[in-house]
Amino acid sequence: MISAEMIEANEFYELAARYNVRGVPQTIINDNAGVVLGAVPEEHLLQEIKRII
Amino acid sequence: MIKSLNNELIDQITELFDAQLNYPVELVYFSKKDQCETCDDTTQLLEEIASISDKLYLRNFDIEENSQLAERYGIHLTPGLVIAGRDQDKLIDYGIRFTGIPSGYEFSSLLQSIILVSKRDSGLKPAIRNQLKELRKPVQLHIFVTPT
Repeated sequence: MISAEMIEANEFYELAARYNVRGVPQTIINDNAGVVLGAVPEEHLLQEIKRII
Repeated sequence: MIKSLNNELIDQITELFDAQLNYPVELVYFSKKDQCETCDDTTQLLEEIASISDKLYLRNFDIEENSQLAERYGIHLTPGLVIAGRDQDKLIDYGIRFTGIPSGYEFSSLLQSIILVSKRDSGLKPAIRNQLKELRKPVQLHIFVTPT
């Protein structure tokens, strides 16, 4: 149900630009339905996932 | 050829893998001959990592010659890596992908992912797991990172 892809932003800057990546790490959930900036506790990530779903 | 990992680092990873790896892990890796700046370095890095433990299996596919397989794993960019569990001759896909060279900070994420897959345990808190189990729609995370 959950997949996670780590993407090297320098190498794939066009992809990073498409998702408006401003800093790293930045987590994009379901094609920009949700965004998490920085490394966050798992509760925080879950909260954002539940907010957009 | 100059090695990606120095001896001291290899010793550290050997110790880490000896202590932490449990079930076999398959690194399903897609590369490309041309127009892939970091493929050669990534190939070498993965070969060196895979040689550290007999629980790690590396399979290197050319993305153009194996486009159907790449499609099945949702790999469109190279270097592209799937970190899967291996159960006899079956693969267990946990949906973990690395796109681009896993060097610098990403190197430790790579090792960590290998260990989690090998343990077949996400390491998440029980309360979080229970809530994730209730998800009824697919969740796709793209985590943008840089090596520095």
